[in-house]
Amino acid sequence: MRAHRSRLEPDVSVVIPVVERYGDLKQIYHEFSAELARLQKSAEFIFVVDDSQRGAVPVLRELQQSGEEEISIVLLGGSFGESAALTIGFDRARGEVIVTLAAYFQVEPRGLGAALAALEEGTDMVAGRRFPRIDSFFNRVQSRLFHSFVRGLTKTGFHDLSCGFKAMKRRVGRELKLYGGMHRFIPVLALNRGFTVREVPMPQRSEDRRTRFHGTGAYLGRLLDILTIFFLMKFTRTPLRFFGLLGVGLFTAGFFIDLLVVAQKILLQMEISDRPVLLLGVLLMVLGMQTLSLGLLGEIIIFTHARNIREYQVSEVLHGAPARLQAS
Amino acid sequence: MDLSIIIPLYNEEESIDALYAEVTAAAEGLSPGSDFEYELLLVDDGSRDGTRAKLRELCARDPHVQVVLFRRNYGQTAALQAGFDHARGRVVITLDGDLQNDPKDFGLLLRTIDEGYDVVCGWRRDRKDKMISRRLPSMAANWLIGNLTGTRIHDNGCTLKAYRGDVIKRARLYAEMHRFMAPMMSLSGCRYKEVEVNHRARQFGQSKYGISRIWKVFLDLLTVKMLLGFKTRPALWFGLLGLPFLFATLLSFGISVYRHMTLLPSMKYSMVFPSVTILFAFAFVHLILLGIFAELVVKVGDYQEIESILPVEDQGGTTV
Repeated sequence: MRAHRSRLEPDVSVVIPVVERYGDLKQIYHEFSAELARLQKSAEFIFVVDDSQRGAVPVLRELQQSGEEEISIVLLGGSFGESAALTIGFDRARGEVIVTLAAYFQVEPRGLGAALAALEEGTDMVAGRRFPRIDSFFNRVQSRLFHSFVRGLTKTGFHDLSCGFKAMKRRVGRELKLYGGMHRFIPVLALNRGFTVREVPMPQRSEDRRTRFHGTGAYLGRLLDILTIFFLMKFTRTPLRFFGLLGVGLFTAGFFIDLLVVAQKILLQMEISDRPVLLLGVLLMVLGMQTLSLGLLGEIIIFTHARNIREYQVSEVLHGAPARLQAS
Repeated sequence: MDLSIIIPLYNEEESIDALYAEVTAAAEGLSPGSDFEYELLLVDDGSRDGTRAKLRELCARDPHVQVVLFRRNYGQTAALQAGFDHARGRVVITLDGDLQNDPKDFGLLLRTIDEGYDVVCGWRRDRKDKMISRRLPSMAANWLIGNLTGTRIHDNGCTLKAYRGDVIKRARLYAEMHRFMAPMMSLSGCRYKEVEVNHRARQFGQSKYGISRIWKVFLDLLTVKMLLGFKTRPALWFGLLGLPFLFATLLSFGISVYRHMTLLPSMKYSMVFPSVTILFAFAFVHLILLGIFAELVVKVGDYQEIESILPVEDQGGTTV
């Protein structure tokens, strides 16, 4: 139908993962496509629909029939989560720039121009930050606590990782291998791979304040996600530095506790058999040894794969100028 | 290509011109008149000063120069690894970017490789660094590495080393294993030798290492010790690790039985020693099981392959 259009590479690929819930997709499409048109950018929209959100497909089909820009719909065969949906969207994106959006009202399209301008200035990724925040007080407090923890742990400066709006150069999206709960930490991961990331404020939509109340349970899951990511970023090649330090610490603590108990028995004739602290010491030593040995096992795993591991990311390789004709 | 010279650089703006001049002069002087070919691989480890601009300049000027620019700072091992990945030379020489190594030693390193060695390590016998903060920790570390790994090298920390190109390309290099090049490579049957090299006082900038790396070195050393120790039989190694726990189990069990036999009934029922017995036994069993699991990891990984890094006819390391 629009086959002739697909040959042209659009300026911007907008990837919208429809995974957990969705709002008025038509409205979102129209607003952002109008803003892109105003910025004189050609665009394609890629909706990646999780199996659980099948209901969105008819609406999108309708949009596909009438839309100006090229719209593709990818329906996943199962529920694979947002990270998988984004990865599939990134793989299909043809534009030089990829923009990701939440499938519900989150930010006003007004900030788009500034984000695209930042990319043109050389930034590799722009992460949206809903600012000023207008949603419920409790949500804001939770979010602040969570983000200050993440900032401290990863030594980054992000304030709103939950914002679905991101703009990036295509190669950044292609390089991030997202799975599990990683989609929430895209800016952190990009920074870790040596890309430059900038946070830009995006005006929050008034509809976003009415969104569901985020349970504290959701944050506990995210906390575990960020701890995993932190571990993988920092200790993938050196698991013993993590497990070993922990293990040696636990073992030493247990060892000294028991040394004290035994010394008291020998020097002060204190009875040893009715002191639970002896048990605590032994327990710590055992736990320490187990932690350490897990780290050693991790080192064996890394060693046996070391030939395939490349730790560095190259930005450029320069070859010396070909030998000029010189009388030397 | 006869020789690849790899230099990792991190914020070396001041020294880079002098470095380039010295290294080029040394490389050109290695065998004048013949068609000796060399390349100079400069790996920029995410410098924040003018290093990158200077590298571009050199690259535009000299066809021997090849430059690899990292996206960010990844550390010296990664920089060396990138150099090895791009190197084409029959022999590869690495040196520091701070001019403390002397490029005049290239000839000695090359000759020693040609004597039939896979790795030749520089030994800064007359080291020009601060005694307390640099030399003493380094001496202690080298003594420890030598004793624990059996690879008696005086100066593991010296970056000035030469490798046979085909061997180093297959070496396992990750994390901060550049400090353990000789032990790690001896693991795969490589022949190594140490030669004395010149060392000069630092002219530019500051040293980039501090004393804080000690615990890292210690844990890395534990890894190397384990890898060298278990010789493709991790179950046995983990079993040995568990032996003290087995002894502790037996001892604690003995105490429990002794108390049961000798003490008055009112004291008999203290659960502390039986519990200690159970905990120690649990740790022993856990280590045995981990060892068996490690066998699985080694089996599916390519640990076995290390024995075949050098085909038999190559063992001499002689070059054509």
